Amino acid sequence: MSFLEVFQYTRQDSVMHRLDPRSKLVLSIVCATVSMMFMEIIPLLMVFTCLLPLIAAAKSLGRWAKSMKGLGALLVFVLVFNTLLSPMEYPFSYSLSLAIRLVALMTSFSLFFLTVQPDQLSQALIQMRVKFEFAFAMSMAMRYVPTLGQEAYAIMDAQRARGVELDKGNIVKRIRNIIPIIVPLIIVSIRRALSIAESMESRGFGVSENRTYMEMLRFRKRDWALVLSSLLILILVIYVRFFVGLPGWMMWNLPF
Amino acid sequence: MALIEFADFSFKYLGADSLALKRIKLTIDNGEYVVITGPSGCGKTTFCRAINALVPQFHRGYVAGNVYTDGKNTREYEVATFASVAGLVFQNPENQLVTLDVEKEIAFGPENLGVAPSEIRRRVEELIELLDLEELREKHPHEMSGGEQQRVAIAATLALKPKVLVADEPTSNLDPQSAEAILEIIAHLNKRGMAVVLVEHRLDLVAKDASRIILMDKGRIVADGDPREVLAMDLCEEIGVGVPKATQVYKRLKTRGIELGNVPLTGVELAELVQEATSR
Repeated sequence: MSFLEVFQYTRQDSVMHRLDPRSKLVLSIVCATVSMMFMEIIPLLMVFTCLLPLIAAAKSLGRWAKSMKGLGALLVFVLVFNTLLSPMEYPFSYSLSLAIRLVALMTSFSLFFLTVQPDQLSQALIQMRVKFEFAFAMSMAMRYVPTLGQEAYAIMDAQRARGVELDKGNIVKRIRNIIPIIVPLIIVSIRRALSIAESMESRGFGVSENRTYMEMLRFRKRDWALVLSSLLILILVIYVRFFVGLPGWMMWNLPF
Repeated sequence: MALIEFADFSFKYLGADSLALKRIKLTIDNGEYVVITGPSGCGKTTFCRAINALVPQFHRGYVAGNVYTDGKNTREYEVATFASVAGLVFQNPENQLVTLDVEKEIAFGPENLGVAPSEIRRRVEELIELLDLEELREKHPHEMSGGEQQRVAIAATLALKPKVLVADEPTSNLDPQSAEAILEIIAHLNKRGMAVVLVEHRLDLVAKDASRIILMDKGRIVADGDPREVLAMDLCEEIGVGVPKATQVYKRLKTRGIELGNVPLTGVELAELVQEATSR
C-alpha cells in the first residue's frame, strides 16, 4: 500500500505548504476536474506535465515518485485488462489514457493531502463554519490512529503468547481470529476515551461559547492569486473543450 | 480562605460496593507541597478528582459533605470552572495529548476558555522555555518518549495558570530517569510559589521536597503532617508505604537502641546524622 503515502502529510517548508488549505483545496479540485474532462492521450499528458512542477514546489517529488512506483502494479493491471476487454476502436490507446488519468487524479489530490496538516484541515473547516466539536473530533481521530495501531499490535502479541494462532487456517478461520483482537481493542479504546475525556474536561473543553484560536488561517494575496488563476484555467479549459473543440493534433491516438 | 477545603466529604462511585472516600476533612493552602501516598485502591485518585469537580460532576455517584476549591463548592460548579484553579495531570501522558503538536497542545486549554490569541501565544512561548520543550515544538505526540509526553502534559495544564497543580501518579508510566526529571520540574514549580498536590509512591524521590505527607488507606486519611513525623510512624510499614531507604535505616537503628536525633529522608541526611553521632 506504499502508494498511499502520497496522501500523507509530510512536514516541509515549501511554497505549497505555506499556502492556505482552502486555496489548495480549490487547486486540487480544479486539477482533478480538468483531468476528468479528457480521454485523449496528449491533453492528459499536458495536464500531467503541469502537475509535476506543483509537486516539485511542494518539495515532494521523491515521495511522489516512490508512491507512483508502488502504484506500478495497479497501472499494469489497468493497462492489460482494459486493452483486452475494451470494446473501443483503439483499446491500447484508451487504456493508456485511463492510466494517465488515474495518475493525474492521484497527483491532484496528493497536492492537497501532502501539504495540509490534519490540524490545519480542521482549522479550515472551523473557519468554514463547521462546529468546533466536529472538526476537532476529526483531527483527534487522526491523532489516535497510531496509538490504536500500537495497541492492536500489543493485543496481537498477547494473544499469540496465549496460543492463539492468528496466521493459520483458511479464510473463515482467519476472519474468526479477528474476534480475540477486536474485542479487547474496543474495550481498551472505550477506557482510553473516558480518560481522554477526563483530561479534556479538566482543561475546559467545550465550556466557552467564544472559543479563541491561537492561530487563525489567513487568506493572503498569494492564496487569492492561486484561487483566481485556478478558476481562470478551469474556465479556459471548459471553453476550449466544449465550445471550440480540441485541435486535430491533440486527438492523436496510437494506431492500436 | 483555604485554597482547597474538604468538609466531611464522602463519595461512592456508581455501582461500587464501598465508599471511595470516607469523611475526608482537611485544608490545603497556597504554596504547600502535599504528597499523598497509600496502597492502590485507597482513594488517592478519587481525592484528586474531587479537587476539580471531576468527582462528582464527571464521575457520578453518592456524595456526602462538600469540597470547596478556591471557595467554590464543587457540587455547584462545573468542571471547567476549576480549570484555571486546579490543573490536573494524569497517569497516562498519551491520553492527555489530544492535538498533533506541542504548541497546539499548550494552547488547547486557554483556547477553550476564550483567552486572547496574543496572550495564548505568550503563554505558549513562556512554557516552552520553562519546561525546555524547544526541540519538541513541532513533534507529533507519537514521536515523543513517555517522559517528553508527560512534560508536554504538564505544560498544557500550566497554560491555564492554575493556583494548584494536582498530579495523579504522573511518573508511574515512566522510566526512573524521566520520572526523576518530572518530579524535579514539579519541585521547581512549587519553589516558584505554586501549590502542589502529588500522588506518588516513590517517596525516596519526593519526601525531601514535600512540606506535608498524607497517608491514605481504604478511603480514609490515616496520617497527615510533616514528612519526617509521618514517615517515622510504624503505620507506614503496616499499610505498605514505600518509606525512603534512609528513613528505614533510621528506624532499624532505633529499634536496636541507637538514636540518631532527627529523622533523615535522604542518603545525604542520613550520612550527616551518622557522622554527627559518631563524632560525639
